[in-house]
Amino acid sequence: MKEIIRTESLGKYFGEMAAVHEVTLTLQEGLFTSVIGPNGAGKTTLINLLSGYILPDRGRIYFREKEITRLGPDKRVKIGISRSFQVMNIFPRMTVFQNILLPVLSRLNKTSSAFSSLKGQKEAVGEAEKILGEVWLQEEKDFPAGELSHGDQRLLELGIAVATNPQICFLDEPSSGMNPIERIKVLELVKKLASERKTTFIIVEHDMDIVFSLSDWIVVMNRGEVLAEGKPAEIRENQEVRDIYLGEEI
Amino acid sequence: MKTRVAILVLVILLALLPAIAGKYALYVTIHILLLSIFSLGFNLLFGYTGLLSFGQAGFYAVGAYGCGKILLAYPSLLVGIVGGVVIAGAVSLFLGILCIRHTRIYFSMLTLSFGMMIFSVAWKWRDVTGGDDGLVGIPRAPLEIPGFFKINMTPMENYYYVVLAFAILAIYLFHRIVHSPMGLAIQGIRDSETRAACIGISVRKYRLLSFTIAGLYAGLAGSLLPPLESTVTPPVAHWSYSAEPVLATLLGGIYTFSGPIVGSVLFYLLKDIIVRFTEYWLICLGIIVVVLVMGFRGGVMSIFLKEGGRR
Repeated sequence: MKEIIRTESLGKYFGEMAAVHEVTLTLQEGLFTSVIGPNGAGKTTLINLLSGYILPDRGRIYFREKEITRLGPDKRVKIGISRSFQVMNIFPRMTVFQNILLPVLSRLNKTSSAFSSLKGQKEAVGEAEKILGEVWLQEEKDFPAGELSHGDQRLLELGIAVATNPQICFLDEPSSGMNPIERIKVLELVKKLASERKTTFIIVEHDMDIVFSLSDWIVVMNRGEVLAEGKPAEIRENQEVRDIYLGEEI
Repeated sequence: MKTRVAILVLVILLALLPAIAGKYALYVTIHILLLSIFSLGFNLLFGYTGLLSFGQAGFYAVGAYGCGKILLAYPSLLVGIVGGVVIAGAVSLFLGILCIRHTRIYFSMLTLSFGMMIFSVAWKWRDVTGGDDGLVGIPRAPLEIPGFFKINMTPMENYYYVVLAFAILAIYLFHRIVHSPMGLAIQGIRDSETRAACIGISVRKYRLLSFTIAGLYAGLAGSLLPPLESTVTPPVAHWSYSAEPVLATLLGGIYTFSGPIVGSVLFYLLKDIIVRFTEYWLICLGIIVVVLVMGFRGGVMSIFLKEGGRR
């Protein structure tokens, strides 16, 4: 197994509060990894730091052994890091197809082209069509994205995240707001995309049944720190993890 | 197909206008064309990039003064217009670097401030701008490329065709830009700058591009003014002048390609009609804009378009 991303003593502080504190973590390529923890544990802040959405106050981040600590989010995308957001973040005024086409154009470095037509971007159009099929949104391609149902918008956001063809993709609660059946469907889609696209997915998820059934590796956070990490069976037996979940069966 | 036919008919009508209309109609049409160019550039920033600028009159004035100064020194229409546009583009690029780091009200206030600085320069730097007298006696120089052709621009009709040609070119290029990958990128930034950044789009780079192009359009509209009026005065740089493309765009529709053009026609005609009856024309125009904005949030064009359409 090869290391894909690593942090050293990573920290982010908002005043007195340590959102992420002294996080030293190594994520392995090809492992379907879940980050879990109670509300306020620092899961989203960790993903924000790893994706470049916010910069750390302390520590370092390495992607394939190369330091990327101060690299902005747009530049991280170019080296193969992508993400989705906890709160829906799509391009609502654009069509579903344009939502996918734009990240594909960005990956192909075609967005600087000011006078060529979109239809003429044959390679990008073909790829966008393919991705739409992969996330089951082919029939909605001409709809304004803002008018899709919540579940379809979640699928679209997943499509946008994979359209940059990332090596590692962080998904922050990709199934939030969905019913249990939709949740399983979406997370199985993520798993399928992971194997077909050779992308390493790191997800933040609250549904423990799904996390434990789908994950190869689990990182547990509490109060901004990594409490434990390991295989699902190991985490299930970890007493500290059981304690933070108030003795719940996990 | 219907749209293309309508555009063709409109262009033919505009081309025939000097033969069927008087000088005043030509004068009004030139002003409408200038406002259309000005408003299109403004809407690239506002409707397509999501940045509300109150300082576009500054770039309009830079174009106008730049062209005026060139024409006074070197009477060649093409050199004057191109020179004015280039100067306005350079100024908007420089100020854009400072403005695009901010968004929302902070961006709007910065553009307003820089616009008023340009107004102050126009008002106070008498040696260069003529101060409150402005630049006077600007010639409507001939359109010439030495060794190829030289067309006398003294007749209004001839100058009208020059403005019409520049307007058609500006509209065509604008259409290409907003329907290009770059156009899609700036619309992505408008919809969600965080999402845009997280798919690899450099938000600042594209905002700066949009700001500079908007400045070039304002500069082009401004450059076409001095040969028409033979004069440029500081009020063209005033913030209230920046309101004209804002109102025209709101009237026509911010989320449609043709909205700013239709809005410019409506704005100028309404202004032209109301001003005949009362000096308080701005109050009447304000009421009309309020009614339109409240009744048709997508502007007049939203009435004619299907939902989600963009023509």
